[in-house]
Amino acid sequence: MKQNSTLLHLENVWKIYKMGEVEVPALRGVTVNIKKGDFVVIIGASGSGKSTMMNLIGCLDMPSKGTIILKNQDISKLSESDLATLRGSTIGFIFQQYNLIPSISAFENVMLPLEFLEVDEKKAIERTKKILDIVGLSDKSHHLPTQLSGGQQQRVSIARSLVGNPEIILADEPTGALDSVTGRQILDMLHKLWKEEGKTIIMVTHDLKLAKYAHTRIELQDGKILSINQKSEVG
Amino acid sequence: MKLRKCLKHAFEMVVHSKLRSWLTILGIVIGVASVIAIMSIGSGMQESMNDQLGGLGGDILTLSAGFSRSSRMFGGGGPPGEGSSSSQATDEDDEPVLDKTDVQALRAIPDIEAIDTQISGTVDVSYLGKKGSVKLTGVDQKSWSRITTSEIKEGRMLDSADQNVVVIGEKLAESFFDKPVGLNQMITIEENVFRVVGILDDDGNGIYMPIQMAYQVLDDKENGVYDSIVIKIKNEDELEQVMNKTEEKLMLVRHVTEKTKDFSLSSSKLMEATRSEMMSSMSNFLVAIAAVSLIVGAVGIANTMFTSVLEKTKEIGIMKAIGARNKDILSIFLLNAGLIGLVGGFIGIILGIVMSALLPALMGETGMLRGGTFVAVNSIALALSASVLIGIVSGVVPAYQASKLKPVDALRYE
Repeated sequence: MKQNSTLLHLENVWKIYKMGEVEVPALRGVTVNIKKGDFVVIIGASGSGKSTMMNLIGCLDMPSKGTIILKNQDISKLSESDLATLRGSTIGFIFQQYNLIPSISAFENVMLPLEFLEVDEKKAIERTKKILDIVGLSDKSHHLPTQLSGGQQQRVSIARSLVGNPEIILADEPTGALDSVTGRQILDMLHKLWKEEGKTIIMVTHDLKLAKYAHTRIELQDGKILSINQKSEVG
Repeated sequence: MKLRKCLKHAFEMVVHSKLRSWLTILGIVIGVASVIAIMSIGSGMQESMNDQLGGLGGDILTLSAGFSRSSRMFGGGGPPGEGSSSSQATDEDDEPVLDKTDVQALRAIPDIEAIDTQISGTVDVSYLGKKGSVKLTGVDQKSWSRITTSEIKEGRMLDSADQNVVVIGEKLAESFFDKPVGLNQMITIEENVFRVVGILDDDGNGIYMPIQMAYQVLDDKENGVYDSIVIKIKNEDELEQVMNKTEEKLMLVRHVTEKTKDFSLSSSKLMEATRSEMMSSMSNFLVAIAAVSLIVGAVGIANTMFTSVLEKTKEIGIMKAIGARNKDILSIFLLNAGLIGLVGGFIGIILGIVMSALLPALMGETGMLRGGTFVAVNSIALALSASVLIGIVSGVVPAYQASKLKPVDALRYE
């Protein structure tokens, strides 16, 4: 996969949580550069700062110190509305627990990001059908999430992350709640998206075995980057 | 997110928390239904009062012997020209009466156009073997037709040459006896036979005859003593001045002061205004009580919305992660609250209309509700807009709270 310009840059990013009088740093001066089209895996033990880093990369949270540049925009300087639009159009989230809205069908869940982006309804429906077809769930589109298996729910979640055609897919332990066979299918799907669609994949995991799928491996320890390794040959 | 889509999600929120939503809606339903029912009772009473008093004419004064403000205020609901139940004219010396002296005094007032002396009582009447008791009013036939607001339906009014003739109410003519009484038919009143010369266009079963004939029929009435005197003034705009002038004149001829006053002079117009004011205050008081239940309903909505925000915190986080803006979340929750108000208001209005239709029957069609209840279109519009507004206002704080949730915190919420 060909890598292009910098898509996301973290410069000396700190995240400090206040626990009463005590300040607990979760990230300490992280600087990292993620290029467009990269497959990045962020690994580390529990409490290493993986989730905090994912929240910051996904613009779900703001750093205590430092700068995050996404698509040449400093996210801390964007208004709430602009940040929400940037998030919706640039980043697709895949969560460990799928995080689907339980009261609406798989189809409606997948179409939801397009509704927030105010995409024309006809186009949104076509796009949703296409994406559900890609993840192999056309026949289950009108099922509620509770009527689907874990693997199927995660595929709905992937479809939802892809429907807005974002440049970045941010996956937080995407196989954590799945059996090994289904987990492998999901990872293959992500790999295919990276290889064939040119998506930038950022995956957070504690499972070292999953690191083999990635092109870039960022290892965190105690809120600091321990190492950044890139495969010499892409793929 | 487009408003239509926000509305769709708000509707889904209502549908997917059925029990809680319906319980909240019930609170609004009770409030709105109470307001509608009470407003309809108020309007019905007002309508009924207008019907009763509307035809009296603003230029009519009624003079009765005896002094009782309260009896003037609510008693003798019947229009002048049909006698007054509160008159106290008797033949006993210590009881105040109305007589020719009063009439002469009134005639001396230039602002008075006509004077009708009246006596009344209950009499037995029969027609073709069928008997019954009705109210008889003896009137001064020379002025009665000028003063009364009743219209003639068939035949004619009484005139000065009339003796053994009567004018009867429409109900008496059409349905009181086995067969309808037509013009020029003879009816028997207390064993005297009278010819019907006119039928009034009203809903009454009263009988009107020349006062001199009435003295003969009503044994207990003393000749020259009147139960009431109905006065028509020349200029309606000078009603109060004429009333004051008349009272002063009467006090003079009757040798009484304000304290020892032995007569009552009432105006249907002033009576109507006083009653209307009292009715309006009473209606407002009742609506205020009903509004309390609406406030309770509003608190219910706020409570439901807060619970809903808590329950949906994670969903709010998910929505924000996939691109929802604060205003999208705000709109969804506000519309949700507004929908609860709208549905509650709509059902409340239907229930209120049903209640207002049943109330007269349940309350035994008491005097005040004789005219039934009346649901005004503006009270429906008011109730519906108030319920939606209450829904939205109650939802403002919870919706704002939801919209301000940080996505990272919301996603972490379990």
